[in-house]
Amino acid sequence: MSQESAWEPKILAFLCKWCSYAGADLAGTSRKKYPPNVRIIKIPCSGRIDPLLILKALRLGFDGVLVSGCHPGDCHYQTGNYRARRRMALTKKFLEYMGAEPQRIQASWVSASEGDKFAGVVADITGDIRKIGPNRLFADERDRTEVTDRS
Amino acid sequence: MSEIEQKLQTEAKALLEQGKVDYIIGFTQGSLRFTTTPLITRDKGDTESLVINPFIVNNLSVYLNEIKGRVGIVAKGCDARSIISLIQDEQIIREDVIILGVPCPGIIDLGKIEKLVGTDRDKLDDITREGDRVIITTGKEKKEFPITEALFDDCLGCESPIPQEYDILLGEESPLSRNTELSRSKIKELEDMPPEKRWEFWKSEFSRCLRCNACRQVCPACFCERCFVEESEPRWISPVPRWQDNLMFQVTRIIHVAGRCTDCGECERACPVDIPLRSLTGKMAEIVDELFHYKAGTDKDAPPLMTAYEPEEAEDFIR
Amino acid sequence: MSRKRQRTSYDKTMKKIKKKDIGNLLRQWQSDFAVFTPSRKSGTARMEEWDGQDTSFLEWYRNTVIPPKGNIFPNMEEMFSFHKDGEGYHLELPAQDEAKHLIFAIRPCDARALKIIDPVFQDAYEDNYYLTRRENTLLVGLGCTDPHESCFCTSLGISPGESGDVDLMLTDIGEEFSIEEVTEKGKELLARTEGLVEAAQPDELRTRESREAAAKKISRKLDTTNLKERLLSSFEDKEFWEKAAAKCISCGICTFLCPTCYCFDINDETSGGNGTRFRSWDSCSFSVYTKMPAENPREDKWQRVRQKVCHKYEFYPRLFDITACTGCGRCIRLCPVNWDITRVLESVPEETTAQKENRNAN
Repeated sequence: MSQESAWEPKILAFLCKWCSYAGADLAGTSRKKYPPNVRIIKIPCSGRIDPLLILKALRLGFDGVLVSGCHPGDCHYQTGNYRARRRMALTKKFLEYMGAEPQRIQASWVSASEGDKFAGVVADITGDIRKIGPNRLFADERDRTEVTDRS
Repeated sequence: MSEIEQKLQTEAKALLEQGKVDYIIGFTQGSLRFTTTPLITRDKGDTESLVINPFIVNNLSVYLNEIKGRVGIVAKGCDARSIISLIQDEQIIREDVIILGVPCPGIIDLGKIEKLVGTDRDKLDDITREGDRVIITTGKEKKEFPITEALFDDCLGCESPIPQEYDILLGEESPLSRNTELSRSKIKELEDMPPEKRWEFWKSEFSRCLRCNACRQVCPACFCERCFVEESEPRWISPVPRWQDNLMFQVTRIIHVAGRCTDCGECERACPVDIPLRSLTGKMAEIVDELFHYKAGTDKDAPPLMTAYEPEEAEDFIR
Repeated sequence: MSRKRQRTSYDKTMKKIKKKDIGNLLRQWQSDFAVFTPSRKSGTARMEEWDGQDTSFLEWYRNTVIPPKGNIFPNMEEMFSFHKDGEGYHLELPAQDEAKHLIFAIRPCDARALKIIDPVFQDAYEDNYYLTRRENTLLVGLGCTDPHESCFCTSLGISPGESGDVDLMLTDIGEEFSIEEVTEKGKELLARTEGLVEAAQPDELRTRESREAAAKKISRKLDTTNLKERLLSSFEDKEFWEKAAAKCISCGICTFLCPTCYCFDINDETSGGNGTRFRSWDSCSFSVYTKMPAENPREDKWQRVRQKVCHKYEFYPRLFDITACTGCGRCIRLCPVNWDITRVLESVPEETTAQKENRNAN
């Protein structure tokens, strides 16, 4: 049973395997503290990101989506993160125009050695999302198939 | 028959006779008043029914995705941009297409006409454009309006009345009646709304969506052989027409075609339940230009938007 | 229990009501029914629940965009929900929609359309979702005075001015509507409706005249001579059908807005072991309609266009003895490329292209 006062942001993070996921691993092995609100999906490259994935995450009820990849110039596949950058920029701006809160879609460049940065990014994003509240964009009282379990 | 029509019929016939194309794609008189309909033919006799008038609204480039062979295609400025975009995406080979360019002064929006005179289109006797005026005749009554009130919003913001790419230009450039402010008035209205109201607006609009897929089918930029909507493993979007899934479908589609969508307006025109899709595609085209200084279908040698990149760009939102 | 409507012969009285009093009539009926009238409030003309006040639809209403079939056979319908526990799956049916509905101002073409698709939902299988709503919906027809240029109902044996497929039939006779009983249910409703006046001879005359005038205004005609035979004989004429289908873009507008189209898709939405089964409209125009793992028998557009035309004018009549088209014209009006079924039907050849070439060669 979910209550507004007990709400914890649920953030889906797409991390690229070569840089950001490794960075998250490093944060873990270094015992860096960061909020547990993020759920990670490993993707081969940030260039795998399709706006469909971001929208699907929001549709399912995630309060925020993070896409994180290698720094520009360092992509394992040379150009994947450049593509991701263009797609993310368009997706963010377009959804903002539609009326969605822009902070729900976030992006970062986190390299394999940036465990600290990863922890910081998660903390910042969790704080951002906490401020704007739960994702009710696709909520509909009549819709029984919405993901309502927030445990 | 007008000069431009005469030229079109002559050229089209010659192209078929000389075997330079397998098909001609153009417009012919439709079966409803003030309506034209696409003509796709291999028969040189059919070229005599080709027309050019203020009602040639379709973006015929959508047929290039399925036609096999060389095509002579009638293209207004906006249609030519779609053709260029398809060439950029390597969906068609430039040499396979002979573009019969139509200098276009704007297409008349029958919906606007109906609102101006308060009468349904099949009760009107005549709609004629005279310079910068439009004259609507019902019986003995003639009503006149500035043409800018009767053209599609899209045409009011047109920047390429002469096709930027053509093989045969069918006429002289005619003066274009532009009103950029008017052409983006619906977008402006939305921009001025607070964000929650905007989302509510789209929620209500997409509640009407039937998922007929006309927007996708009429779009030349939607040429995927397998659309994400049709994936069932995993099922990204439910086929059940809930507003949430309808909205998700359209938003994803518009981002998918970003940089290839020329904002031709066909999706909005085709929608049977009048969802104002150009308020989305138009804004996307503006965002693309703002972020990446790119306009779809204006340079056939340019790499497609989403395959290109600058070393430094759009970094401001990235942590 | 037969769900077919009974048409009884009895003394039919005709009543009438002033147009400006229609609101009172509808408000009376609202005490027993959920009353649906033409409305553009949602942004598209369809039959929507009446707000109790607004009768301005009488000024603009020619026909709705979404046909009344959408009120009986909705685009999105929950069939049942299920959950799984130790003992297996448990099904829960949605609360049956037993509410009494009344659709006001349905046109003869759309009323006929419901009769046309009734067999589908009660032939081999009784579809209670459809049949319950159908049984509980009273139809009050309104004869046309102003057909569209795309209407061709008269070519299919339907009169724009009158209908035997409704419970009550209204006709515009100037400042008033005449009201005719058609079924027992209609007669019952009329008997307990107040504020009506007996129609007199002149009213009956004006009713007849109005109906004749409406039929005369139908400008679009479809010649159905030998149509079934022509469709059968040219079924394999790929060249003809390719040409006929060339400009179609395979969207679903014509089928979704057609009052006699009834195809639907069934999908389960699950989360863990729980979920809901829905049905929603489907279209034979979609390229994936007949797609199967091994093959797609209607991969090509011309095959789908051929199927749609032949289904409506040959296969369905063969099964149920009635053409699956009412000439409402929505498909023509709303097709983004002005694909016109009447033009295509008229051009279906007596002989196939191959036969013609053979004949010309000899």
